[in-house]
Amino acid sequence: MLGLPFLIAVAVVLVLRHSSRSRTLLALVAGATTLLAPALAVAQPAAAPAMGPPNSTLPPTVTGKGWWLPPDGSLDGWRTDQLITGTTWFVLVVFAVVVLWIVVAVLMGRRKSPAAPYPFHRPGVVVVAVCVVIIAAEDAALFVRSLTSLQKFSWGFAAADADPAAVRIQINAHQWVWEARYAGADGQFNTPDDIVVLNHLRVPAGARILFQLASTDVIHGFSLPNFRVKQDAVPGMINWLTFTTRHTGDYAIACQQHCGVGHYKMKGVLSVLPPDDYVAWVKRASALARRAYDPGDKPAHWGWSWERPRPGEARMGEGRRP
Amino acid sequence: MNGHGHAHAHGFWRRYVFSTDHKVIARQFLWAGLLFLLLGGFLAMLIRWQWAYPETLNRLLNPQTYTKIFTLHGLVMIFFAVTPILIGAVGNFVIPLSIGARDMAFPFLNLLSFWTFAVSQLLVLASFLVTLGTAGSGWTTYPPLSTNVGAPGAGQTLIVAAIFITGIATLMGAINYITTVMRHRAPGMTWFRLPATVWGLWLTSILNLLFVPVLGAAAMLLLLDRMLGTQFFIAGAAAVKGGGDPLLYQHLFWIFGHPEVYILILPAWGVVTDLVAFFSRKPAFWYRGSIGAMIAVTVMSGVVYGHHMYASGLNPMLGKGFMLLTLIISVPAEVLFVNWLLTLWGGRARLTAPMLYTLGVMLVFAMGGLTGLLLATIGTDIYLHDTMFVVGHFHLTMAAASFLASFAALTFWFPKMFGRQMHEGLGRAHAVLTTILMILVFTGQLVAGYAGQPRRYFNPYEHEFLQHLRGLNKATSHTAFLLAGVQLLFIINFIRSLGWGQPAKPNPWQVGTLEWTCAPSPPPEHNFDTIPQVVRGPHQLSDPDVRRRLGRDYIGQAEPDPMLGSSMRVRAL
Repeated sequence: MLGLPFLIAVAVVLVLRHSSRSRTLLALVAGATTLLAPALAVAQPAAAPAMGPPNSTLPPTVTGKGWWLPPDGSLDGWRTDQLITGTTWFVLVVFAVVVLWIVVAVLMGRRKSPAAPYPFHRPGVVVVAVCVVIIAAEDAALFVRSLTSLQKFSWGFAAADADPAAVRIQINAHQWVWEARYAGADGQFNTPDDIVVLNHLRVPAGARILFQLASTDVIHGFSLPNFRVKQDAVPGMINWLTFTTRHTGDYAIACQQHCGVGHYKMKGVLSVLPPDDYVAWVKRASALARRAYDPGDKPAHWGWSWERPRPGEARMGEGRRP
Repeated sequence: MNGHGHAHAHGFWRRYVFSTDHKVIARQFLWAGLLFLLLGGFLAMLIRWQWAYPETLNRLLNPQTYTKIFTLHGLVMIFFAVTPILIGAVGNFVIPLSIGARDMAFPFLNLLSFWTFAVSQLLVLASFLVTLGTAGSGWTTYPPLSTNVGAPGAGQTLIVAAIFITGIATLMGAINYITTVMRHRAPGMTWFRLPATVWGLWLTSILNLLFVPVLGAAAMLLLLDRMLGTQFFIAGAAAVKGGGDPLLYQHLFWIFGHPEVYILILPAWGVVTDLVAFFSRKPAFWYRGSIGAMIAVTVMSGVVYGHHMYASGLNPMLGKGFMLLTLIISVPAEVLFVNWLLTLWGGRARLTAPMLYTLGVMLVFAMGGLTGLLLATIGTDIYLHDTMFVVGHFHLTMAAASFLASFAALTFWFPKMFGRQMHEGLGRAHAVLTTILMILVFTGQLVAGYAGQPRRYFNPYEHEFLQHLRGLNKATSHTAFLLAGVQLLFIINFIRSLGWGQPAKPNPWQVGTLEWTCAPSPPPEHNFDTIPQVVRGPHQLSDPDVRRRLGRDYIGQAEPDPMLGSSMRVRAL
């Protein structure tokens, strides 16, 4: 920010050197605008009354570092990270070439001799052709690498569903809570031993996790930035989400689709536990759930029988809630 | 003299309010758009304030009003600021004058178009006044949040109605523009002698004609859901009963919504193609290739929309197709861009205010277009979807590029519009500063997106993984406040030039298009005393024969060939 007033002063002088009359006026305006930022900083109100820690029972999650992707907790997250990093370099290099080209062309154009009046010339055609080849190659690389990555990673629903060790979780999103259901000891959903938790999900490390997502009011976006995956929870359909955990830790769950006033507070935690701790938790929680089961509490029985993907097809959606 | 004569022909109302003159209607769209641009800009500053100082809690900024602020910022900017300025004002003013027509094909429809648009703007303003306030479900207005399930109150209804009505106005304009370009070109004005600006506006109008009705259908179904209890978009078992499909709305919206971003950028591309050539004093490189690229993008724009729905539950099979098509659209866009770079190369760049705006468009569009690669590709989009990265990307393309192109066009045609010159120095300062600051602000948003910051958060720092971004967001916000302050330069320049600017020179930019070579500034109501006979394309600059014969580096599109004089006969002998 400190460099900006300087930058602006330089630009103003460069641009206005031919006009002396309005220089004073402009200097005033530029000065006023550069003063605006610190003035606004000064105007920062005293710390507002705390709104209270919203989900105070939730453990703190893994924090981000630097201005780059947050820590990766997923087995396949590197595929996304590699593709993002590579493409970002491509973007930066091409942008630098464009800036350089414009600067050089403008500087060279200060000559007095007239411009070449040709609307079309061979070197230009070569430049266009080379650029088309470069962008087409980048497009092809992105397409192919994206598909291979997706098949192995976030679209691998059939493989995940065939894995007997996969952890299956149903999510019922509503304003502004992530309600999650585990099948419990019997492996069947919507039975008395189902574990139902709010916002705090537990899964084992090194396991495939398979989510089925639904919503009962508006569209929510179930996002796990540390696992590089997200999927909308849409009323009236069941969406799928899968990934494989790696390290233990507490990771953030954020809502990614504007869902109303409390959107920014729709916050959950995915705790990746050592496998033994997870098994012990399921056992304990399932037993507690069976004891607390109330057959008359109809709204609590929102679960559905687990949807199966069609053979050979990565399928999302289409399934209607019972 | 002409003005005096027409004052007798029409009274005040017919002349300034319910005029059918395309030049008056263009100015009406301009004022309407600029006023809403101020409103949209103010809302943007509130959003930026919120991300820098999220502890603020008052009547103006709280979680409830915040949803309305970002919703209206998007809607106001897209439908009620960029559209009227870039398409309504520039399109209305430039099309008849650059093709050699006396007016639009349907002048009365043109009048209706503006006043229908004005009604929709009034509905937007009215929505602020009703109980529960204006709409708060995002500019995309996704149901069920935008139905009574998530957004009770008349505000949201008024906004959806305003979208529907502004769609009618756009449609009337589109029919007019398309017909005018196809039927009212001056003799000799072939398709490939049209200025690229006219091509851009014509292609935009075709997209408007094809896809705005789809938006109208979505808005109408949403209105029925809100007002008559239908359930087109309402579904779900427990809390919300209904047999509809929320994704149906997303399909309808994005079938329109993706062409819409090309609707806002095609006129900008046209303006850049022309102005780069004009101010490089050189014919546009591969003009036909540029026009072909714009046509290719127009054709493809209708079949890429699915990339907005990669995370919605779209079948992966469809996702693959949309990814392929979206990546392919980068090829024509890139051909167009390289043509601009080649036009610039070897030219004699005159860094006038319109040229600096044009270079600004090229820079922000380069950054915006390239970052689109990461959003077209599903493998990278899944992580970046609905983060600030998307916000940075589309602001660089359809906000920064479209607005800078609007400023370029306004500065370029201001002498023709108002008969006075704008101040060059103020214009240059505004162009340079706005470009630099826009790149800084929107790159700041891209960076926040890499770190995973979701869009539309009242307080991002509720989440531990975003807390370290406060410094970045604060810096971006301060840069944005500066950007807003710099707009004073334009406002001062605009008002000063309207009242006290130098009288316009007949051809201040020394170019050959019809409006600068065949009509005075400002032109009379009938534009041209005699309809020009066009003999050449719009960018015939630095022609050695013209230079030798006429002693200048440009020649009018309707000017007789200097070689047809005596020398030609001598040469023939």
